[in-house]
Amino acid sequence: MDLFLNRVFDGLEQGITYGGIALALVLIFKATTLINFAQGELAMLGAFLVYVLSVEQGLGVWLAIPVAMLLSALLAAGVERTLIRPFDPADHLPLVIITLGLFLVINSAAGIIWQFNPRAFPGIFPSGNALRIGEATLTWNTVCMVGSVLAVLLLVELLLNKTKIGLAFRAVSSNLESSQLVGIRVGRTLQLGWAIAAAIGTFAATVFVARPILFLEPTAMLRVLIFASAAAALGGLDSLRGAIVGGLVVGLIQSLVVGYIEFIPNELSLTIALLVILGVLLVRPAGLFGTARVERV
Amino acid sequence: MTTATDHDATSDVETPPTAPAAGSSGLPRLIEHGSRAHLIYRIVGWASFVLVAVLVPFIVATPVVFGVGDSKFTIGMENLNHGIAYMVAVLGINFLIGYTGQISLGNSFFLGMGAYITAILVADYEWSYFLTPLVVIPACFVVGFVVGIPALRIRGLYLALVTLALAVVFPSLVKLDSLADKTGASNGKVVRSELNSPIDFEGFGDSLARIKGIGGWFSGIGSRQENAIWSYVLVTLIAALCFLVASNMRRSRFGRALVAIRDNETGAAVSGVNLALYKTVAFGVSAALCGMGGVLFTMAVGTLSPDTFGINLAIFLIVGLVVGGVGTTWGPVIGGLVIIFVPHLTSQVRSINGYELTGDRPYGTLFLGLLLIALTFVLPGGVVDGFHRLRSRFVRVVRTPPKELLTGR
Repeated sequence: MDLFLNRVFDGLEQGITYGGIALALVLIFKATTLINFAQGELAMLGAFLVYVLSVEQGLGVWLAIPVAMLLSALLAAGVERTLIRPFDPADHLPLVIITLGLFLVINSAAGIIWQFNPRAFPGIFPSGNALRIGEATLTWNTVCMVGSVLAVLLLVELLLNKTKIGLAFRAVSSNLESSQLVGIRVGRTLQLGWAIAAAIGTFAATVFVARPILFLEPTAMLRVLIFASAAAALGGLDSLRGAIVGGLVVGLIQSLVVGYIEFIPNELSLTIALLVILGVLLVRPAGLFGTARVERV
Repeated sequence: MTTATDHDATSDVETPPTAPAAGSSGLPRLIEHGSRAHLIYRIVGWASFVLVAVLVPFIVATPVVFGVGDSKFTIGMENLNHGIAYMVAVLGINFLIGYTGQISLGNSFFLGMGAYITAILVADYEWSYFLTPLVVIPACFVVGFVVGIPALRIRGLYLALVTLALAVVFPSLVKLDSLADKTGASNGKVVRSELNSPIDFEGFGDSLARIKGIGGWFSGIGSRQENAIWSYVLVTLIAALCFLVASNMRRSRFGRALVAIRDNETGAAVSGVNLALYKTVAFGVSAALCGMGGVLFTMAVGTLSPDTFGINLAIFLIVGLVVGGVGTTWGPVIGGLVIIFVPHLTSQVRSINGYELTGDRPYGTLFLGLLLIALTFVLPGGVVDGFHRLRSRFVRVVRTPPKELLTGR
């Protein structure tokens, strides 16, 4: 029982990160039906910014995080304007190619600047245990990670549902052409979506690598991107809450399956993500919370 | 048989004689399709291609070293063979992305699969390289076919997502403990099976070296170089066979059905194309071609490590396809060379304008990524398209419609 609880807590901690990156993926997908394959790398870059600002420049970590979020949001807005907007959103191949190119560029640029040796990241949440059930311990780190990502979700939901910008965003994601006709500046709205997504990604990546057992390195987010894609697919690619729920489910599956089924070694945990994506897309392509798409021919 | 000019059935050859009238300088020169001039044009094109393919191995058999500034660049036979293996893999991807319009990012999986099956058969079971395709092709075809089944319900970006996960999974599968005694896990797998040349290339190399003027390029063919040239000959012939098969398939009923699916899925289905069958078979064929790329990879490189076949390679193959030209016959040839030579040459650059570069950092990858993004903007059709556009300024092949059409009967 104690071991089970520990594995659940562990799964929650991983899962909430997947949920955070999935949230960023979903935000972009909602608006443009584009999966940003460079999302994980953008988030990794953001985490490196936090590292540089806090460890190398001596800024307080809680000041460094918002600054890094702002910087990565600006970067993403620039990327959207220069690399994404010139292309027809309905033609997938060039956009996939651009985001894959971004993946290579960001990943290798990080490798060139910071090299591939892992770095210890400063802890950002209080250490110690929040809860003890028998031998099982729920650390403050887990609580704060889950809480903070949920807070981010709440903020995004508020932004989308209570503000005029959010209204514009929802209009664009529900019908791009009509919203253009009623005078919404579609380009800017999508740009905002990219910026917010990058900021969320930076936050999620930062709390992820700030876990005591993890290190920051340019390849840190690759696996996370695949798990986050599984989470987003499970949640239904256009549902914000679905992304978080999907992330938690994928994290729990990973932690419990690897923990309990002996013939599945840890290396195969990525395969689990693949199977989750496949299973969801085959059985329920719209995911748990997503809206089913109907195609007009 | 494919021709140098006919890279895609639809483009290049202009059907009605509406091509702009020849300018005052006589350019572009119009060549009538099927005429004698066209025949000569094709023969000259092919002959120069074959000539380059025959001469190049003798040049690089002893690694070519040249310096620019303080950087020294080396190009050897193994780079060339490596590139040819990637050509076949890009050809496989082209089949799926270029012809069928299915965005699949996971074909590095099949490249790795083919390479590992070959390595295990040759190193552990002492098979000959030539027999390994008998296992690799069916195995990759079946796995590709199975992977293609979800593609019936998953489209566009979702498919890209699933297949990308496939690419990421491959290294972790190879590293599994239960497979470690076969695959060598993280230590990789080394194949020590020399391809001994039965042909006397030394004599040919010597006679090449006696040519006045350029003879100096072809020096130093010894017995070691002979084996290197022999491996090039084998790799090239197998690759050429793969290209021939793929290009003929593209022209067959099957290939035309695939293009119909790419251009308009609903339309294709209405015209009687069995979508499910054709799409899954296209996945299988593509996987089998990538598997053949893997066979050549093992022949050319001989050392496999699991992380070679990860997500970076998956994206590199896409880079190759895009740089060469999506959906063209000759794009993969350019693509395979780009994948291997761009990182290889950039890694040898020591400094740019006094700025020192350290060798072990991924400048090559950065450059490939920038190239990918830049080409998507500047030359969406890839190098092949650029070449065709350039060529059409000088020479155009036109078809004359039958006389009945011209007289308007």
